[in-house]
Amino acid sequence: MDHVDIANTFFTILTLLANAAVAVAFVLAVAALVSRSARRFAGHVVDVIGPSARLLAWFVAAVATMGSLYYSEIADFVPCRLCWFQRICMYPLAAILLVGLLLRDHRARWYAAPFVAVGIPLSLYHFLMEQGVLHESSACAATVPCAVPWFTELGYVTLAFMALSGFLLIGTLLVVDGLWERGAAAVEAHAEDLLSPDEAMGVPRGNHGGPHDDQLGADDEPGPPSALEVTT
Amino acid sequence: MTAKTTTQPGKTTAQPGKTKAHPGKKPGPAVKRTGSGWVFPAVIVGIVIVGIVAVVLVAAGGGNSSSSSGGGAKNAVEVSAEVTTGGTALPRYTAGVKDTAVGMTAPTLGSVDFQGRNVEVGGATGSPYALAFLAHWCPHCQAEVPRLVSLARNGKIEGVDVVGVATGTSEANPNYPPSAWLAREDWPFGVLVDDGRFTAANEYGLSGYPFLVFVDANGKVVGRTSGEVAPEDLQKIFKSLAAGETPTMPGAGGSSSN
Repeated sequence: MDHVDIANTFFTILTLLANAAVAVAFVLAVAALVSRSARRFAGHVVDVIGPSARLLAWFVAAVATMGSLYYSEIADFVPCRLCWFQRICMYPLAAILLVGLLLRDHRARWYAAPFVAVGIPLSLYHFLMEQGVLHESSACAATVPCAVPWFTELGYVTLAFMALSGFLLIGTLLVVDGLWERGAAAVEAHAEDLLSPDEAMGVPRGNHGGPHDDQLGADDEPGPPSALEVTT
Repeated sequence: MTAKTTTQPGKTTAQPGKTKAHPGKKPGPAVKRTGSGWVFPAVIVGIVIVGIVAVVLVAAGGGNSSSSSGGGAKNAVEVSAEVTTGGTALPRYTAGVKDTAVGMTAPTLGSVDFQGRNVEVGGATGSPYALAFLAHWCPHCQAEVPRLVSLARNGKIEGVDVVGVATGTSEANPNYPPSAWLAREDWPFGVLVDDGRFTAANEYGLSGYPFLVFVDANGKVVGRTSGEVAPEDLQKIFKSLAAGETPTMPGAGGSSSN
């Protein structure tokens, strides 16, 4: 039993799960823009995932980093030039997000954001090159060509695709983290307003909303009060 | 952090004790956080399950290793034990720069073909020839080979001997083995098999695949290209080479061969 085969299968399954999670999040986000019940459901999902979102994002980065090191140091898959650029984006995430967790720094997602924002197009570019959609040049580099993946599972899952999936999942989780934090802040602000009714008048409506109304499309429903306001 | 408090100036002064409501700090009432404490442990358990599934799948033979294609000719030599060289090695090719190898005598290479028969190329042979250095895994080589085959089939390479050099070979890479690949493509020319250190490729200054070296009847290099070359450019080169003229190499043929 070859450990590289096990690793390939393991990381391929994780990649597919990551893709599924991102796809669900995307569908939910689109649905939340058009449907009120979907918005409520998306709010619940954010409530459930949100508190762990940054931890999960760090975990994804850590697993991706360890996988990357496994492939280069143990499986002896020499990283190509583009692989190195993706590593430059992925490895710091494992450190930045961890420090952010330890310091409870809610801005950690903003420190991480540039690496995700660069990592996604980079790995997409690399993946398209592997698929023959884009070409680096008319020649294959004599040493470690970017266009030739070390392995391909299921016909399309390569290391570049795994990196792309990782970056997308981290990005999604950081968005969830941001949504949840905004929602939680709004709830606290609202609770605080209740405790000090004399100030409630002066606070803009946006801070009164339910946990998620403000970021999940509240702009298109200015009329009716949010559910939270109705119940209170 | 401070930005939020300035938008609500009255708050902090009216309720100095309520610092926990400061939106800049990690927020989230305790009620909300406890509700999802299971998420991360669940993910860990899920990963462990995925690991077990992966081991089971591979153990059951489902681990589809992408490199074991096989199917080459029986006992074919895919990598030569040794390539002997003679003469002066050509300088490394750089695209977009005047090729200093032009005018040099093509070094001789001694190796075997896929069947293990001795092959020698290089030097003056009395007729013009071209060496095509090909890597089985390189998509540009995979695109170039059918062009050469088609030109030969249409009689456009008459008067020029072409020899393929199977180099860059790695069992771990796709489209292995090269003998099966070239057989599939009906490669009509001879083949010289490079060794594991790519001695033949290095001797001719290869910098990228596919790599073509054109040599006249006197054994002098008249041009080299790195990367794909369009069929019409190939046709022009072969035509002038066969006529004893000096062909012009397509400028864009080896653009950034890296």
